[in-house]
Amino acid sequence: MPQHAHPEAMAPSKPGSTRTAPPLRPPQLPFAGRYRAYTLFGWTGLLYLLLGFLALRVVWALGDGKQAFDAVIASFEHPLYIAFHVLALVGVVFVGVRFFRLFPKAQPPRIGPVKPPPPAVILTALYAVWIGVTVVFAAILAGGIFA
Amino acid sequence: MSDVQKKTFVVTRFDPDRDQVPKTQSYEVPVEPDWKVLDALNFIKDHIDPTLSHRWSCRMAVCGSCGMLVNGEPKLTCKVALSSYGDTVEVAPLPNFPVIRDLVVELDGFMEKFEHVKPWIIRAKERAVEDGPMRQSPEELEEFKHFSMCINCMLCYAACPVVANEPEFLGPAAIALGHRYSLDSRDEGAGERNRIFRGEGTVFACSYANECSEVCPKNVDPAAAVNQAKLKAVIDWAAGLVLPRRAEE
Repeated sequence: MPQHAHPEAMAPSKPGSTRTAPPLRPPQLPFAGRYRAYTLFGWTGLLYLLLGFLALRVVWALGDGKQAFDAVIASFEHPLYIAFHVLALVGVVFVGVRFFRLFPKAQPPRIGPVKPPPPAVILTALYAVWIGVTVVFAAILAGGIFA
Repeated sequence: MSDVQKKTFVVTRFDPDRDQVPKTQSYEVPVEPDWKVLDALNFIKDHIDPTLSHRWSCRMAVCGSCGMLVNGEPKLTCKVALSSYGDTVEVAPLPNFPVIRDLVVELDGFMEKFEHVKPWIIRAKERAVEDGPMRQSPEELEEFKHFSMCINCMLCYAACPVVANEPEFLGPAAIALGHRYSLDSRDEGAGERNRIFRGEGTVFACSYANECSEVCPKNVDPAAAVNQAKLKAVIDWAAGLVLPRRAEE
């Protein structure tokens, strides 16, 4: 059963003389068809909120000294934390890929005299930078550099 | 003589004088193999139930009048072949719009949003006739041409989840049209439109569902226009911070 949209969706500023039926939302919103990916995209915001709280917890522990910090880091080895981080990784990849799909077509035909490169070049560059940054951070975390 | 195929049409009906809420009514229609959905609706109107109300005009996907929800998807009914549907076809008015009667939706809100983006060429100073025509190169035309292909069919509004929740959102077609004029080499109103786009409930309300571009029957890609307009509005705002004279334009 389709749900109602906002009662003033697409309503004129001055109502007409004829009574109208209230607008309905698209029937597939939020969980069917192509809207599913959009809704999931919105829900990844919850993951980032939780990640933000985790980061605050780490910073807080850092202020309490090395022992407290090490205890927080050790707690991340719990299977539930590992599962959460895997889920967060999936969320980040999903949002990243979605953003990369949008980015080339969000470029104006030109910015001043400069024309953006073709979409394929932009997309390749985005993925190259993403992979490069991931490799560098993985190397830092593994102690390969800046150890 | 070939067997005539019959399809069942489940059509949403609403009479503002009698009905509190819309209801559905079924019709058995003998359809021809080359019919579009609109042909079947016209058959119902002409031969079965003359009280059915729906909008249509050109029958060639140019006027944008016959947009409706067909089996849950916003479609131009003159463009979609009946053969692409099964034995039952559900036809409803476009979502996200108030319904005036049956399949006819209220257009005034849509027209107000269009007017808001100033969809015309704005010049700082009117050009004299004796100065001759304003010439435009094919390259300059190419920058906005596909955004000018919009036929105002409103399918993008019917598919947009933001329009469903935020009434003040200008919406895909209006922003695409405003952006089309801002890209026009003859126009000098981009700064004015950027200020409108930066206002409440405008381009930044778009959360990129991309549904507008998915359902657009003319491949206008309104999602691209909205997101380009976002970028232009931000660049314009940033330039105004470092170049105060530009902010005053």
